[in-house]
Amino acid sequence: MSKLLIADDDVELCALLRTYLGAEGFDVHTVHDGLQALERAMAETFDLVILDIMMPGQDGLEVLKQLRRRQLTPVLMLTARGEDSDSITGLELGADDYLAKPCNPQVLVARIRAILRRAEPPAESVPSSQLSVGDLSLNRQSRKLYKNSAPVELTSTEFSVIEVLLREAGAVVSKDQLSRAALGRELGRYDRALDMHISNLRHKLGPLADGSERIVTVRGSGYQYVIE
Amino acid sequence: MFRQRLFWKLFLSFWLALLLFAIGVLYAASAYLDATRQRYDGPNNRERGDPTFNVAQAAADAGLAELQNWARHADDSELVPMLVLNAQEKDILGRDPSSRALARLAYNLKNYNEDKTSGRPSRRQPIVLPDGQQYWLVPDFQSATLSRLISRPRVVATQLILATLIGAAVCLALAAYLTFPLRRLREASVAYGSGDFSHRVAPTLGSRRDEIVDLAQSLDTMAERIDALIAAQRGLLRDVSHELRSPLARVQVAVGLARQRVGNQADEELTRIDAEMDKLNELIGRIIDFSRLDAGLQQARHDELRLEQIVADVVDDVRIEAEAKGCNIETRAPAHAVCKGDAALLASAIENVLRNALRHSPAGGQILVALEGSEAQWTITIADQGPGIPEALHAKVFEPFFRVDDHRNPQGGIGLGLAITRQALSAHGGSIELKNRSTGGLEVSLHLPATLEKNA
Repeated sequence: MSKLLIADDDVELCALLRTYLGAEGFDVHTVHDGLQALERAMAETFDLVILDIMMPGQDGLEVLKQLRRRQLTPVLMLTARGEDSDSITGLELGADDYLAKPCNPQVLVARIRAILRRAEPPAESVPSSQLSVGDLSLNRQSRKLYKNSAPVELTSTEFSVIEVLLREAGAVVSKDQLSRAALGRELGRYDRALDMHISNLRHKLGPLADGSERIVTVRGSGYQYVIE
Repeated sequence: MFRQRLFWKLFLSFWLALLLFAIGVLYAASAYLDATRQRYDGPNNRERGDPTFNVAQAAADAGLAELQNWARHADDSELVPMLVLNAQEKDILGRDPSSRALARLAYNLKNYNEDKTSGRPSRRQPIVLPDGQQYWLVPDFQSATLSRLISRPRVVATQLILATLIGAAVCLALAAYLTFPLRRLREASVAYGSGDFSHRVAPTLGSRRDEIVDLAQSLDTMAERIDALIAAQRGLLRDVSHELRSPLARVQVAVGLARQRVGNQADEELTRIDAEMDKLNELIGRIIDFSRLDAGLQQARHDELRLEQIVADVVDDVRIEAEAKGCNIETRAPAHAVCKGDAALLASAIENVLRNALRHSPAGGQILVALEGSEAQWTITIADQGPGIPEALHAKVFEPFFRVDDHRNPQGGIGLGLAITRQALSAHGGSIELKNRSTGGLEVSLHLPATLEKNA
């Protein structure tokens, strides 16, 4: 049973969500302010942390920032509609995805499942668990990425994105395709989630040995991992 | 009394102007006469090299006719007539000498004769013709009348023009001083008329103190109050909308719970509740979007965009609904339309206008979406075959919550679409324009500068 931590200052909403998500088969824990959220997330191991941005104490973005310094637990941000800058900042800080609140709880469950699915190591029957492209090598079993044999710290979503790109290295992967494969959902029209994950990956992986971009944006069609 | 400063300013300045003018005229007249007299009554005119005398003598050297010519010319160009008299008191041009002029002549003759008998050099000399006839130049101050002045406008033309110009400059400065605050007031009221209540007049008028400044101050106070009221109203709207979200979020989860428990028995009702809540959520979202744009909280992003792609995406979104109504959307756009801006904002601006067009189109109507322009400015024109909007309401439709059909039309929007569109465009430095087509229907043009400046 997946263990979730929900941090939201709306106590009643948390209670409702606990019941609802409980019935969907999740083990839900709730906290109502930023400091508690950080404390709990550090002290225990959760499969997913759901962070509301608007919280007393420390806001969700601050909690995420502190959390990402220590661990890579998947994080889903709840943002207010129209606050695009919040969702972009959240993704930059390493959130796995975001969802505008209020939302249909069925959408929330779908989003949670998508994130949990990519955080899970694949079944034993994965044909080749090792994948190497240039200076990168990737282990599907342990969901770890190595650059020149040194591990690179990635969130599970970032790992899923780079996994798809490396599998298709040299070919253009469309945004839709990448979003479905890595985020587990269709991309909204002006959704910046994928762009932000790519940007984080570029930052963490650095350029190729010759200084050129590792992942190039192909205008109007998608992204491509460049083979040296 | 001194509260009415403008009154006293006007009174004193007019009074002062009149006084200065009168003094100026009197001074100029007396200065002119003094100068003429001095020129004549000074020491020996020949020794002094009196130009009048020398010119007259030079004319006389050429004969009587030439001297008469000179006298005629001098009479035309001088205010004080210069008589040319012989010893018999006859003027060379037949003018009538005044008694004072004759006295002057007698005095001159007396001096001349005395000097001659005593052998002294003469202070005054006659003009001498080649045949020995003597003429005396005698200015006739008594005959310098107003009618002479009026019949010789060129005599005072230079001074008159100069006086007029100086007068004009002074009056211009005065008029500008009195009216410049009125211009500021006008600018302010125009700004208020277009909904910008941040304009203040009094601080721009410096240390000036009069009725106009009082007016400016009361106008500023009024604008401040209106500004505060509008801000409070919009703030209230925004706060209420934010507050509505929390219960809405709870209801959504509660409905989810209901669905988990009795989903099969009440599926239809729960689906309906979900749909209505989505509408409510959308409505609240639009109010918040508008508030954010209105308060200038949302800055337009500055991405490089393909405008033709955005237009095509929006049209694709609306097409399904259009087809349900039997309407056709025709798109005309160039293959490349690059601009900088915020894709989501622009798409919502275009979508609002397009949905309005569809809403007011008759069944089976035609909607034209045209993207035209160049790198400098793009224009998206959306034309429908609906009833159009009465000219008088064109400015009003951009007000939030204004609707042309006042009764609650269930199909109608909430009156935020065009308000959001206008805000979205102005965040890009663009503008929106409405026009009723001659063939019926409304044409909405969205103007977008391609290389826009970020709206501070």
